[in-house]
Amino acid sequence: MTYLVEEKDGFLLVHLEGDVDLSTSPEVRKLMLDCLRKKPQLLIDLSQVSYIDSSGVASLVEGYQLSKSQGSEFALIGVSEAARSVLQLARLDKVFPIYDSLAQRLQHGSI
Amino acid sequence: MLIRPFIEGVGEKTILAVEEAGYQFLLLMESLYWLCLGPLLNQPVRLHTIAAEMIKIGVLAIPVVLLLSFSNGVMMAIQGIVTLQEFDAESQVVPGIAYSVTREFGVLITAIVVAGRSGSAIAARIGSMQMSQEVDALRVMGIEPVRHLVAPIVLAMLVMMPILTIMADSAALIGGGIYTGIVLKLSLGTFIDRCFDVLVVYDVMQGLSKSLVFGVLIAVVACSNGFSVSGGAEGLGRATTRSVVMSIAMIVVADMLFTFFLSR
Amino acid sequence: MTDQAFQAVIEVEDLVTYYGTRKILDRVNLSIRQGEVMVIMGGSGSGKSTLLRHLLALNKPASGSIRLYGKDIGKYSTRELQTLRKRMGVSFQNGALFNSLNVEDNVAFPLREHTQLDDNTIRIMSRMKLEVVNLAGFEELMPAQLSGGMIKRAALARAIVMDPDMLFFDEPSAGLDPVVSADLDELILKLREAMQVSVVVVTHELDSAFRIADRIIVLDKGKVLIIGTVDEVKNSDNQRVQNLLNRRAEDVEVDPEAYLKRLTENLAGL
Repeated sequence: MTYLVEEKDGFLLVHLEGDVDLSTSPEVRKLMLDCLRKKPQLLIDLSQVSYIDSSGVASLVEGYQLSKSQGSEFALIGVSEAARSVLQLARLDKVFPIYDSLAQRLQHGSI
Repeated sequence: MLIRPFIEGVGEKTILAVEEAGYQFLLLMESLYWLCLGPLLNQPVRLHTIAAEMIKIGVLAIPVVLLLSFSNGVMMAIQGIVTLQEFDAESQVVPGIAYSVTREFGVLITAIVVAGRSGSAIAARIGSMQMSQEVDALRVMGIEPVRHLVAPIVLAMLVMMPILTIMADSAALIGGGIYTGIVLKLSLGTFIDRCFDVLVVYDVMQGLSKSLVFGVLIAVVACSNGFSVSGGAEGLGRATTRSVVMSIAMIVVADMLFTFFLSR
Repeated sequence: MTDQAFQAVIEVEDLVTYYGTRKILDRVNLSIRQGEVMVIMGGSGSGKSTLLRHLLALNKPASGSIRLYGKDIGKYSTRELQTLRKRMGVSFQNGALFNSLNVEDNVAFPLREHTQLDDNTIRIMSRMKLEVVNLAGFEELMPAQLSGGMIKRAALARAIVMDPDMLFFDEPSAGLDPVVSADLDELILKLREAMQVSVVVVTHELDSAFRIADRIIVLDKGKVLIIGTVDEVKNSDNQRVQNLLNRRAEDVEVDPEAYLKRLTENLAGL
């Protein structure tokens, strides 16, 4: 798994790429918690994620809860079909704010 | 005509006994393997399970061990004084009690209490896990039942048995001391002093080394009986009883062998 | 379907096993493909539970072989087998939940043992799986406080907590009422869909088998009667298969000589 963090249009974008599984999800978790320390408007880009398991999803859940308690935004963008079925299984597709892309998020108004 | 089934029976029982002893030895070896190498293989024996076993096996047994050992000390003082009075040597009761408590009875009473309390509980617990397929569940999860269930018990025994034995020794000496003090007008302090005069480290060590062996015996006998439970609730009861009877029998026989080789 | 969909994850070849001197399985051949639901059926004593124990590598075959991911189970080292087992989830007949742990700790148990994940992650994962099996809110209960259906669902949550590639069920419907059992079947299909797992189910419940199976293997007295799709099994003209499907007791063939001998064996004065 690799990742790239960039700031764009007032959002902090985290692009994840590759497999998020038992061995890499702790890294994702740490990355996300580090990013959240600055209380950013955080978007997690999953479009390049080939596989995500429940430990990866659990890390996203923790990040989402933390940003909620901080009062900042947290959303997933570019959720692939594989990732979506994992989210759906636990009905988490109804929990996370999900957008197709950054552009779609921007259509929904500013921060 | 009758002799043949008899011999067959003996042969069959012998094979089963050897098989069981081998299995128990294997349990011990595997437990030691996991205790030593588990942390290196990233499959450690969990500390919290060890702690839980220590409490169940050791801490909770303290009151009974103390009570029985104290009573035992008093009884030895009574019998010792009665016997030695015939030779006008009742003051010699002190070394008598000191030797037999540290070498024999402290550890023997501890072992019997632990076998009765924990031997049955362990056999029952593992037996019911075996029956409800919890042991299979561990195995198919990739968790070795020996590492998860047996190794913590073996380690807890190795730690707690000597500690309990020391407590038992002390309680028995105090019991003996109090009775002797009353009858022979000897203060408890003097009694203890005279005990330490006659005792050498070897005497106490003899008891402690036995306690390690007995602890391991109780652990593997209870676990092997638990793992081989079959036949429903009745089988579970049988395994529990068998575990206690077998470990106490083995302890007493082992003790005799020890004494034969160490005390002559 | 792609080629990979047809790849066998488990192959059983000429499996023979004994219990004492009694033959339990007799030359069983079977292959289970990636992503399919294979149902093992048969009456009691047919050897279906024994077959499952062999697939789980809990028993050793007397002869024949079982290959997991193309390699003979007997040839895996203990450590390899342990790694392999992290990819297999098993739900036992009576759940086999650890009685000393509450529901959440039961589900979290494999993760705590096998992974270095943060405890928060582990707990979220366990609760997610409990959501999947509709047991949310029962985390703190002990197994003894659960109903039969809840125990099975908790066991299922524990079986899928490591996101396995293979799921095994021993009698998922046994002891459940029809509605609860149908729910559980739905859940099995949902999991197969979402997680792309191969599923092996041992059952004697026909309705359940027909609902979930891609293919069915029918065992009778240790021998394979038929392996095929649901329709193939339903339309089989094999008399024994039909007997089983129609819940007809089998006509026992009587050998008068042998029968008389069985009744009077070892009696005094005969």
